[in-house]
Amino acid sequence: MPAETHASHDPLGPTEVHAIIRAHLGEILEIDEARITLEATFAEDLEADSLALIELVEALEEELGERSVGFSVDDEDLGDLKTVRDAVEYVVIRLGGSAA
Amino acid sequence: MRVAVDAMGGDFAPSAIVAGALEAVEALGVEVLLVGPEAAVRAELPGGEPPAGVELLDCSQVIAMHDEPGASVRTKKDASIVRGAEAVRDGRADAMVGAGNTGATMAAALLRFGRIRGVARPAIAVPVPVPFGRPHLLVDAGATVDCSPEWLAQFALLGRAYARLRLGVDDPTVGLLSNGEEPGKGDELRKKTFALLDGMPGFVGNVEGRDLMTGRPDVVVTDGFTGNVALKTMEGALQAAAGLVFTVLGSTDEARAASEVVAPMLLQGVTDYLDPDTVGGGLLLGVDGVCVISHGSSSARAIVNAIALADDCVQGEVVASMKRAIEPETERAHAR
Repeated sequence: MPAETHASHDPLGPTEVHAIIRAHLGEILEIDEARITLEATFAEDLEADSLALIELVEALEEELGERSVGFSVDDEDLGDLKTVRDAVEYVVIRLGGSAA
Repeated sequence: MRVAVDAMGGDFAPSAIVAGALEAVEALGVEVLLVGPEAAVRAELPGGEPPAGVELLDCSQVIAMHDEPGASVRTKKDASIVRGAEAVRDGRADAMVGAGNTGATMAAALLRFGRIRGVARPAIAVPVPVPFGRPHLLVDAGATVDCSPEWLAQFALLGRAYARLRLGVDDPTVGLLSNGEEPGKGDELRKKTFALLDGMPGFVGNVEGRDLMTGRPDVVVTDGFTGNVALKTMEGALQAAAGLVFTVLGSTDEARAASEVVAPMLLQGVTDYLDPDTVGGGLLLGVDGVCVISHGSSSARAIVNAIALADDCVQGEVVASMKRAIEPETERAHAR
């Protein structure tokens, strides 16, 4: 179920969400953000293990939870997020926007 | 100085953990924050009330030994391990001690304290006793089982920084655990790590398993899987050797007569020296706070020693030393 968006915020689009993910993941993995393209796979291209993904999810929940009440990521869904694009689309939909 | 103690972590929790924490308050003059479901913790306190120097932090969940580490920290946000780490993050305690699920304790510290910049994954540094000599440090004793060469190189830097404080050595030596001393020995991980460490101050090359109790070098670096297996192998071998000695001492009349003199010396000196409870636990290197991880079968005595180690690390500002050690390497990496 999408999170409840605060009245003062418009839903974030894919570009904004990608930028947020890129910033957090770049810091967690200590890599150049330019490597974090939409096509990049977490495991092979970015060498992000499960703990790194949990760090990312916790960071996203903290930041986006301030915009959207109750924003959270289901742990059961983590395994389905193979690429950065998967994560961007997932977050946008959870925020109540359109991934297209 | 206050230490958050996971009252529910370990095979003998909460009784041994609470008993150790109370003893530490008396013996060390530290304060303790006991973290766990309040009813369970109070049941272990004399009269059900915390004495002076002890506070309780109530929580509703416990992470079990078999729980998946990273996921359990997320799904059990009110677990004692997680609340203990948050107490340190929020300034309610200066350090934490946990004898429960090692991976979950590591994950809670990593996620709640954060990492030192330049460190990808933490490692546990455990002092290994050396007969008639200074102990050395085994890094990693079990925090990060799957490692990259870069992570092992970071463990070497962290281990050297910690050895200065823990062992009192100005210029600690570092060896890479492998299956032969020659530079080409080992699997791909060892060979690539050797190439990264070659030329690093203090690096003396590969060392073998038989070097683990010789004290040569001061820091032995390996991945958490190999380190944990090596540590448990040593513990088992030493226990078997001690059992063999006592069996022989009871095998004949002459041996039994001799054992009346020898056995007390062995019991007091050797077994105490080799008892893992004497060490108490290992410091988690690489996180932005002090976290001591004790082994699952910790007794009250182990918890006292773990709390003493946490106290030493806070007083010795060990985290600041880690940051100073890793910073130049991080700057070089970012400049490349």
